[in-house]
Amino acid sequence: MKLRLEWLGSYLPGPLPGTDELGTRLTKAGFIVEGVEGNGPGACLEVEMTANRPDGMNHRGLAREASAALGRPFADPGPGRLAEGGRPAAELATVTIEEPSLCSRYSARVIEGIEVRPASAAVRERLEALGMNPISAPVDATNHVLWDIGQPLHAFDLDSLAKGPDGKPAIVVRRARAGERLVTLDGVERTLTPDHLVIADAVRPVALAGVMGGLETAISERTTRVLLESAHFDPGVVRRTARAMGLHTDASHRFERGTDPAATVDGLERAAALIVADCGGTVARGVIDVVAREVPRPRVRLRHARLEAFLGMPIPLPRCVEILRALQFEVTEAGPGVLEVIPPTWRVDVGLEVDLIEEVVRIVGYDELPEVLPHAFNPTWTEPTLAREERARDVLSGAGFVETCTYSFVSSEENAPFAGGAPGTPAEVANPLGEPFTTMRATPVIGLLAAARHNARRGQPDLLLFEVGRSYGMAGTAPRESRRATLLLHGRRQVHWSVEPRPVDFHDGSGAVAALFAGLGAPAPAFRPAAFPFLSPGRSARVVSSNGEDAGWVGVLAATVAARYDLTEAVVADVDLARIDVVPPPTTLEAPSRFPGSDVDLTVTHRLSLPWSDLVSAATAGAPPELLGVDARYLYRGPGVPDGFVKTTLTLRFGSAERSLSREEVNGWRDEAARRLLALPESRVDGF
Amino acid sequence: MTPPPGSVEEARLLLASELEEAVREAAARGGLLPADVQGLRVRWLGKKQGVVTALLTRLRDVPKDEKAAFGAGVNALKQEAEERLARLEAEAEARAAAAAEAAKAVDVTLPPRAFPTGRLHPLTVVRRRIEASFRGLGYEVADGPEIESDWYNFESLNFAPDHPARDAVDTFFVKGGGEGRDALLLRTHTSPVQMRTMEGRKPPIRVLCPGRVYRKDDIDPRHSPVFHQMEGLVVDEGITFAHLRGTLAAFARSFFGGRAEVRLAPTFFPFVEPGVDCAVSCVFCDRKGCRICSYSGWIEIMGAGMVHPNVLANGGIDPERYTGFAFGMGIDRIAMLVYGIPDLRLLFENDLRFLDRTW
Repeated sequence: MKLRLEWLGSYLPGPLPGTDELGTRLTKAGFIVEGVEGNGPGACLEVEMTANRPDGMNHRGLAREASAALGRPFADPGPGRLAEGGRPAAELATVTIEEPSLCSRYSARVIEGIEVRPASAAVRERLEALGMNPISAPVDATNHVLWDIGQPLHAFDLDSLAKGPDGKPAIVVRRARAGERLVTLDGVERTLTPDHLVIADAVRPVALAGVMGGLETAISERTTRVLLESAHFDPGVVRRTARAMGLHTDASHRFERGTDPAATVDGLERAAALIVADCGGTVARGVIDVVAREVPRPRVRLRHARLEAFLGMPIPLPRCVEILRALQFEVTEAGPGVLEVIPPTWRVDVGLEVDLIEEVVRIVGYDELPEVLPHAFNPTWTEPTLAREERARDVLSGAGFVETCTYSFVSSEENAPFAGGAPGTPAEVANPLGEPFTTMRATPVIGLLAAARHNARRGQPDLLLFEVGRSYGMAGTAPRESRRATLLLHGRRQVHWSVEPRPVDFHDGSGAVAALFAGLGAPAPAFRPAAFPFLSPGRSARVVSSNGEDAGWVGVLAATVAARYDLTEAVVADVDLARIDVVPPPTTLEAPSRFPGSDVDLTVTHRLSLPWSDLVSAATAGAPPELLGVDARYLYRGPGVPDGFVKTTLTLRFGSAERSLSREEVNGWRDEAARRLLALPESRVDGF
Repeated sequence: MTPPPGSVEEARLLLASELEEAVREAAARGGLLPADVQGLRVRWLGKKQGVVTALLTRLRDVPKDEKAAFGAGVNALKQEAEERLARLEAEAEARAAAAAEAAKAVDVTLPPRAFPTGRLHPLTVVRRRIEASFRGLGYEVADGPEIESDWYNFESLNFAPDHPARDAVDTFFVKGGGEGRDALLLRTHTSPVQMRTMEGRKPPIRVLCPGRVYRKDDIDPRHSPVFHQMEGLVVDEGITFAHLRGTLAAFARSFFGGRAEVRLAPTFFPFVEPGVDCAVSCVFCDRKGCRICSYSGWIEIMGAGMVHPNVLANGGIDPERYTGFAFGMGIDRIAMLVYGIPDLRLLFENDLRFLDRTW
């Protein structure tokens, strides 16, 4: 927000403050001066205004702050005595407030016999400096007052207001009736509802209260009689009305944040004085001042001991009183070390003791606070879900994957193929930025695919990517979020001059998933054949934890989906971190056996359709505890093996922690395993 | 081959000259090989036709009184031959071993075979660095949902339904939620985790809440609808505003280096009172003023403040007995700062050339 130095200076007796010092002090007091434009008295400060300080959004208000921050006097010369004449205003118009809770006060003045002319050069210069276009003296006068003391005003052409039964132009503050229409100053016709507060005349709405006036009753070149409105509206109703209309005006900006309920008449006086100075005319006698209700003023207790304990620094009580008084708070002593404080009417943000503490410390300056650390307490700890995510990142990056960070939003089209893999129905954004940001992703894999496309297009097709992130869905009205570790493998592996590179395949993906389980300290998962609409049939699997829980999926991306991302075969995986059955770390670590073990091989010829997991089951079923494991050593298809068959060599590892195994017992166990393998359908075991 | 020597002395001279000749002759082809030495051994020490053996067979022709001396002379010759040949053998074997090694030599300047070296995303690295700074001060790390209710994201944090402070945070809403405080939205900050933490336990509380947050901003070099925050919350008896300053200063020194200072200025956030803007002295120019700090010497890094009594009360904590402070910073913004990243979009583009830098 722009504010002009000479205008601020009109409330600070003495020489104008330097912009550097003023900027620094105001910033320290909470009005951040982001820059200064121009120099000399016409310099403008660019000030960041926080939403809680509408009272600072005008020159008088900011000058008050400057006076407290700079420690120099503040003086408000006031509107001066207005020359009145002619008829009493009360005979020229009536004002009725039908909604006291939404409008506490409505003050009006009438000026007759004006001739609409441009505003004085001084007024125009000030408004132009703040970036406004001067319109006419009456309108500019209202804007000037808004920027001067923060009271928004509106000027009606009195003769355009419909008269009530008493024959006088009427002003009624009421809720709009359903379907009422109003063409606002911007030329837009608006349809109203009872949610909107309006200013009406005897028959129709003539302004959106606190937001914008109506076109038909606005000041024109032909206007000779003006009714000036200066009111106090409820912040909530102005905000709802402005938002519903898509409007944001200087007036609504202030009313929404809260204006000074006591400033309505002050504002009228200043505007009327400017209008008659520029346009002639006579200010009708008296103010029509309707007070629908008193706005209560809080009395806040400030305990000095509490202030010092809260801040952790001493500030003598007299200094506290001095600061509060400089900010025009009424301060009385309510007891030893206790102040009773009434904030000024414009300080709508102050209602609690802590608000007063802030007032004191911001003027003292945050720089004065000592740097103290709280005493040590609870030992540090990480939420287990987060710890697991962190471990997954370390395991996957250690395995050669590059971590990505992708948007949680995707397009509904991108999400659709994967939607079945996520819990519930897709979570959709009600007010998205547009595609591709409409849907919360069913899996982070969608982001990985976009990242893969980005890299592949830039000549980087060999990719190992991961993201540890969330997937989202809705179960009825309840959102569901799930923590996932997701992988994408694309292009070639072993890219080096010394070897023949090979394309990534399913087993790279399942290997990475297995590494993730191992890295998290979980037993190896099983990979069960399963069909997913987004994965290639025959090269896709469900990942099953050792406790039997479904922990996710891995597979070669379906060609139709891959084509959408300009990818060749990509291997993708999505694992639900919560479903990895992490076992507690062992409480004892056993020493490895001191007795050498013994490996024996069995070569089985079997149908391609017989899965490896069945071979393992056959080899291990009923085997003694000395059988430590079964590995696949070699797979062969080709001459000597019938079509549709494969020759698999299994290595059986035997060993014991207690003794050396004899050749005879190992051979006996091997033969038993061979017999079980022979029992598999259509299988042969070499040598048996 | 020279005729057999007539005397031991002759043989000794011959041994020396033959071996030296053999070494000289082999020098051109890289020195004697083990096979060459073996040939010499056969000639001199061979059981059947070796020179030494031949000399020994002549012992019977030597007059009786000379036998002892002759025998000793031949033995000395044999020993000398053994020693000389052993030396040559050792040299030849060493030479052969070196040649075998040399044959295995590779071009060590070729590109090395790659071992898997993945990378963590810069946001992860920076988040962990921030967490490490606060863990040293005894903070726990907490977590919460990203799809939140209006209550947790706004209302419980002192954003009344019509509060203008809501204007500053353009919010994405999620379809399918309820009305008012039950409306579903994408959290605009990680402060809901603070509220959930307060609800779930009694003070003392000292937590960090990292996470993904959402604001309805169009994507440009400095804005993203998705970004990441790190918030902190401390609640206990006797927590003071000075503790907040001390904590922020300790963080700044831990994260940005021992010379970093913090500057606090008043500002407004509905959930704190007093509110604080926290800037850290520019570590790039040592406060002299540079492009990064916009020539101010200071870089704004976070918002903070004393937890508002209404917020404590909403979290079930007696604001008269307990006080607390909270702070929050953008992880993305700090990552841009510490890595000199010019464009926020790079963090979400996932270009390997960007991610492959050594973080």
